[in-house]
Amino acid sequence: MRLAFLKNVVKGVFCAAFVAVTFPASAATEGTDYMVLEKPIPNADKTLIKVFSYDCPFCYKYDKRVTVPVVKKLEGIVKFEPYPLETKAKYGLQASRLFAVLMLKDGAKGVSLIDDNSLFKKAKMAYYEAYHDKKERWGGGENDFLKTGLDAVGMSRADFDAAVKDPKVEGMVQQWKVGYDIAKIQGIPAYVVNGKYLIYTKNIRSEDGLVDLIKELASK
Amino acid sequence: MALRKMWKALRSSPVDTLYTWQNQRFLWVVMAVAMGGLVLIAHSFFQLYLYMAPCEQCVYIRFAMLIVAAGGVIGAINPKVLVLKVIGTIAAFTGSILGLMYSVKLDRIHRALHDADGLFGVQGCSTEPHFPLELPLAQWSPDWFKPTGDCGYDAPNVPDGVILDSVQQWFINMYAASDGWYLIPPLKFMNMAQACFLAFGLVFAVLVIMVVVWGIRVARGKPERTTA
Repeated sequence: MRLAFLKNVVKGVFCAAFVAVTFPASAATEGTDYMVLEKPIPNADKTLIKVFSYDCPFCYKYDKRVTVPVVKKLEGIVKFEPYPLETKAKYGLQASRLFAVLMLKDGAKGVSLIDDNSLFKKAKMAYYEAYHDKKERWGGGENDFLKTGLDAVGMSRADFDAAVKDPKVEGMVQQWKVGYDIAKIQGIPAYVVNGKYLIYTKNIRSEDGLVDLIKELASK
Repeated sequence: MALRKMWKALRSSPVDTLYTWQNQRFLWVVMAVAMGGLVLIAHSFFQLYLYMAPCEQCVYIRFAMLIVAAGGVIGAINPKVLVLKVIGTIAAFTGSILGLMYSVKLDRIHRALHDADGLFGVQGCSTEPHFPLELPLAQWSPDWFKPTGDCGYDAPNVPDGVILDSVQQWFINMYAASDGWYLIPPLKFMNMAQACFLAFGLVFAVLVIMVVVWGIRVARGKPERTTA
């Protein structure tokens, strides 16, 4: 009697495993893999927005390992748009302004934001490394903080002060403020496809899984 | 001597002895002091003295420890009063279960960040804490409940210009060398999440035993007193 029960259990486990292996769930599930934002980000069709902050450990880890290969695989499908989060880090606003200046410079030269020559990427990685690896907290204040990013891209403070006056910079910083409400939902990094599908980070299982999910959501 | 006597009684008649103990104050007081003490040490020693900022899960763990401690205090008022014993037990169970869940999550975050291959399957930092019942504890008492550290990282971070005394410096050097809190820092043995899991697990196990013993006594037909 007990043996028969055990046999049934073993059979059941094998059947379940077989089904799981041969019929992987391909469709993204709302509520598990992603959620639909109540307030979508306007004019964000065919984009992959990533809300991040330099002081967030997982943002650093994702940017080191995941962002570049994933964005490369999505070329032509979605445009990658990083949204620095102003509210989380101590120097969030200064970081946002510097990132906006550098993104505009990258854009003017036609350099992709995931390219190693991107000024934005250089400054971002410099802040990540300073904060997480060297435990830098910029006790000297705002000037100290900006110096880290400016040194990484070889820009003088005077050039930055001039460039930051460009109204486009303030426009970008304002645009990124929508990231705050998105970050509150599940934290950061927060990936948003087409401005309305927020991916649940905890259910991302692999790089390819993330790519497939973004492709599927982008085509919705 | 007293301990030997207690041990002897426990061995000779475990159910009756444990039942007697749960109707006395000392176990409830031990639970309240242990859990309240851990929160106190976390705040005053690690956070204020050693500059180890609490992360989001860490402030949740503090909250869970205080629920257990509150259960201990309620029970200790008079464990012979059924209603106090029931409320104390429920509070301690709730706190220990919540604590176990927060500890598991913190451990997963810790491992995801510190292992070279770990990353997926974890949600890291939240930008704002969400306590059960949406209690605004971080606003009420930011010094105790506002997360100021980064999830998964608990190494000391001394602000510029602070002069450390020699004891402070010794501890800070030790935790900085192990890149975070460990029960035995030089060996990186048992991170904070695992140590908290152990503490909550111990509370949970004792509670289960006590409830089982209580059940056996009720089944044997020894009705509870409802008044002191």
